[in-house]
Amino acid sequence: MTVVEIRIELKKGVADPEGSNTRKTVESLGFKGVNSVKTVKVFEMDIDAPADRAKEMGEEMCRKLLANPVIQNYKVTVR
Amino acid sequence: MKAEDVRVCVLRMEGTNCEDEMALAFETVGAKAEKVHIKQLTGVVPADMRRSLEDYDVLAFPGGFSAGDYIRAGAIFAARLKSSVGDQLKAFVDAEKPVLGICNGFQILVELGLLPAIKESMTQVPTAALYNNDSGRFECRPSLLRNDNRGKCVFTSEIPKGKVLTIPSAHAEGKLLSSDPDFVAELEDNDQIVFRYVAPEGDAAYPWNPNGSPSDIAGICNPAGNVMGMMPHPERVLTRFTHPDWTRGYDSEEGDGLLVFMSVMKHLIG
Amino acid sequence: MSADRLMRKRDVPYSLYEIDILSADDGELKELSAEMGLSLSLDEMKVIVDYFRKEGRNPTDVELQSLGQAWSEHCCYKSSKNILKQFVFALDHPDILSRGDAGVMAFDDDYGYALRIESHNHPSAIEPYGGAATGIGGILRDVICMGAQPIGLVDPLCFGPLDTKEELPPGIKHPRYLANGVVNGIRDYGNRMGIPTISGGFFFDDRYTGNCLVNVGCLGIVKKSDLALNYAGGPGEVMILIGGRTGRDGIHGVTFASADLTSTSDEDSRGAVQLGDPITKEPTLHACLEVNAKGLITGMKDLGGGGLSCVVGEMALDAGCGADVDLDKVPLKEEGLAPWEIWVSESQERMMVTCKPENVDAILQIFDMWDVLATPIAKTTDIPHTRLFWNGEMIFDMDLEFLTGGPVYDRPYTIPESSEGRAEEIPKLPSNNDVILSLLSDLNVASKEWAVRQYDHEVRASTVLKPMVGKMNMTGPGDATVLMPVPGRWKGLGAAVGCNPWFCTEDPYRGGKAAIDEACRNLVAVGARPHAFTDCLNFGNPEKPDRLGEFREAVRGLGDICRALGLPIPSGNVSLYNEAPGGKFILPTPMILGTGLIDDVRKAVSADFKESGDRIYAIGRTKGEMGASLLFRRFGGKGGEVPDTDTENLIDTMDRLLNAMDAGCVRACHDCSDGGLAIALAEMCISGDIGADIDLSAMDDLDDMRKLYSESCSRWIAEVPEDRAYDFETVMGDRAKCIGRVGGDKLTIPASGVELSVKEMRKAWNDPIWNIMGGEYQ
Repeated sequence: MTVVEIRIELKKGVADPEGSNTRKTVESLGFKGVNSVKTVKVFEMDIDAPADRAKEMGEEMCRKLLANPVIQNYKVTVR
Repeated sequence: MKAEDVRVCVLRMEGTNCEDEMALAFETVGAKAEKVHIKQLTGVVPADMRRSLEDYDVLAFPGGFSAGDYIRAGAIFAARLKSSVGDQLKAFVDAEKPVLGICNGFQILVELGLLPAIKESMTQVPTAALYNNDSGRFECRPSLLRNDNRGKCVFTSEIPKGKVLTIPSAHAEGKLLSSDPDFVAELEDNDQIVFRYVAPEGDAAYPWNPNGSPSDIAGICNPAGNVMGMMPHPERVLTRFTHPDWTRGYDSEEGDGLLVFMSVMKHLIG
Repeated sequence: MSADRLMRKRDVPYSLYEIDILSADDGELKELSAEMGLSLSLDEMKVIVDYFRKEGRNPTDVELQSLGQAWSEHCCYKSSKNILKQFVFALDHPDILSRGDAGVMAFDDDYGYALRIESHNHPSAIEPYGGAATGIGGILRDVICMGAQPIGLVDPLCFGPLDTKEELPPGIKHPRYLANGVVNGIRDYGNRMGIPTISGGFFFDDRYTGNCLVNVGCLGIVKKSDLALNYAGGPGEVMILIGGRTGRDGIHGVTFASADLTSTSDEDSRGAVQLGDPITKEPTLHACLEVNAKGLITGMKDLGGGGLSCVVGEMALDAGCGADVDLDKVPLKEEGLAPWEIWVSESQERMMVTCKPENVDAILQIFDMWDVLATPIAKTTDIPHTRLFWNGEMIFDMDLEFLTGGPVYDRPYTIPESSEGRAEEIPKLPSNNDVILSLLSDLNVASKEWAVRQYDHEVRASTVLKPMVGKMNMTGPGDATVLMPVPGRWKGLGAAVGCNPWFCTEDPYRGGKAAIDEACRNLVAVGARPHAFTDCLNFGNPEKPDRLGEFREAVRGLGDICRALGLPIPSGNVSLYNEAPGGKFILPTPMILGTGLIDDVRKAVSADFKESGDRIYAIGRTKGEMGASLLFRRFGGKGGEVPDTDTENLIDTMDRLLNAMDAGCVRACHDCSDGGLAIALAEMCISGDIGADIDLSAMDDLDDMRKLYSESCSRWIAEVPEDRAYDFETVMGDRAKCIGRVGGDKLTIPASGVELSVKEMRKAWNDPIWNIMGGEYQ
């Protein structure tokens, strides 16, 4: 059994309205010095397979479903 | 083919929620529309409920939040469809049968690789994305759309080029993006741009372009012209009396959205 | 914890306790009620002790918990029932088709429409997003279980001022945070379900800061032949639990709603707030309507407050039977729930249907098609008891009459003083230009576009008049929203909210009447004839005589005006104990959702001024009633009479105006409410993007301030084309006075020194909420 973490983040240059809105809001709550906020999506999967196979599966899932290569990068790590 | 012989598959899954008005739109122009659940195509239902894509002449993807828009808008619907009946879908498109996606339906077509499909009719991975509106919010507001298609798209054949229609928008992810910097020019060259957001005068700045889409693109078709996706909802304005400002005066009781459905019927029945 | 002494674990491999209440003293009974979260009084505990003494045994924890739910204010209306009986329950109307979980009124020969509104206040104050979302889920289920397709959501909300700067006490969240969370919750749930959010309202006052109000209303459409019952058909039927799994979410939501919020509610009650799942609900909606339309079920009811414990008993009792429940068959979200937790859980997205045994398979097949969980868990019996079994062992056996009967109280109340003849203290006012701009920018008047456009108000493609009307992307406020619910038919259903909590505070009786008057005004303004109302009565702690007095008087006002109008309130909801930590109570808030019918939606009228040169009429009588007016609130006026509705005048004026509209004489119409005639005119200029030139000398003999800002009831402004003026005046008689003409790019009232460009009025009205909540505007 392997736990893999799949992290989907926006590619550089893709605007992140949720992130920038959040930044504005935390600033209005009085938190100073927040230079940027990025929204990132993380899936944690518990997979019945050895580490290298689980990682492969995770990457395949990203290509087939979890990430859209036009706007998103993905990273699969075994934990 | 006669109008009543035109069979439309209005495809839905959990979270699809504009199927009633989509079916009504096709029925208003004389077609026979059937609301079909994705399970009925993929086969995990009793025999009498099974349906096959090849029995239909038109495939329509309605708006909504299929599968809750989890992961990305339209991604789950697309993945489920592609993994089960991807080949049939490709055959349907290659046979140049009309395929329409509105709002979430457009997002699904992009996730399926059926739009923009510049190089092949159905790409392995998406080559575009419908991404969060610049405002960061869901935007339910009227839009003005200009038909910029030069004649390829089967859903605008009855709409004069340059005609402006009033069609409402209601979405949170409608900004069309591609990693290809020449994307808009390519679409233009291929006559794949169908609708652009315009303003009553001047540039289509927000809120006339409600999502920040480059070149004010609201709807595109594939290079063959038989697959069209658009963010605004023509099926919501079949009559003048659901237009946003009809109380301020009107010429016709017909709604602007009807033209999209009349066009495809004209294309099919001649 | 001396109550521990009374808990006896039964020797079974799951969590089940018998509670030795027969030997408990008063102190221990009180402690039991508190520790088990029952929210029952000592007297109520003693009634329960008597019941079990007669039974000759002690109750199980499941039984006690069930009583706590069934006897809560939320479920049995123990403080409000007698007052409602006295003033509103008897209101009748031949068009009432049902008074079930939602009211149903006749729409046309073939269809009925469902209406209901209810509160989700306390959960939303703790967790605004989930609280509001699940509120929407609940109200949708109430409409669905009438067999009706939901067609519109209506969400009036009350918060503290969004720009509150003061430090808030612990446990109280900032109004901006709450408003943002609630709007997001409504948006995400309503939009995902594909039901348009068509109307609503925002009310801002610092007395809502500690206890916001989230009222959720829903309309539905149902073929008369498909109208569903909310109870079983008789003994020997099967109860099938539909939808989501049962978990610990929402345990004690009901008893929580029936107690004041305290500063620790935040930590204590998280478990009482539920998570919504619109994507489970969406297919549940389709499937439930399908089994009903196919005639496979005998009854349908949603699991709301009290969960299974309430729905099973009510569905059986109303059919004159009892029920045997196999509690271990209930599908769970997680292992290890105690039977009592399963029995009272308020997990979302669940419905119950009853059916003849021979239809079970067909029903299960339909739910399977939609991937919706459906599990037979109970049978109706001919013994008037509810009995629960766990793996065959009986763990609960109670007389249904006793269980669902519940106590009813005539609590003491103090009648508040009427505002009739109340002395007034007029505030010092700046120029009328400044007053108008100031009132337009008051949060209660200012544009709510920030919220309205995040809600999909057009899905289902039947929204004829939208919540905001006028020139595209330059819109102003509408009055009522109009739907065209049956495809292919021009008949329309109007929906509008009415409530003035400030009137209710200063004079609850007049305030109650004014709420109905406002709903009528809004409906008539679009050309819809008022037809029915549903009410959500949000008030304070009924154990305090002043608060109950407000409730009683407001309800009396509602009853009196509805009786005079001959219109019913076929459904409603009461939310009491709306008090913040420290006992600060809310404004008494009888929120009204009114519905109206319009024979041909093509004749509907919107509020925006349209044509230069058209005449402008003031309709109705303006009186000097300045009490609780926006002008007084904003500039510090005190006292004064609260506007009173002269019901005969209201009825006569409505009739005339509707006739004038039907004859096509009216090009625009808007009601006069907050800020009076001046603000109504300004709003019509804003939405039409055109000016008006006004002369008020034809109006009744009042001073300038009263003509401009009095909020007298039963008044409208209408735009009438010159060539229809004669016909219009003939129909309206002395009810309408010509006060000016549409045109130009300014609102001018020379005698009052008013000269304001439409542009500056739009800015004053449009920007305030955008500026606080963030974002760009139209």
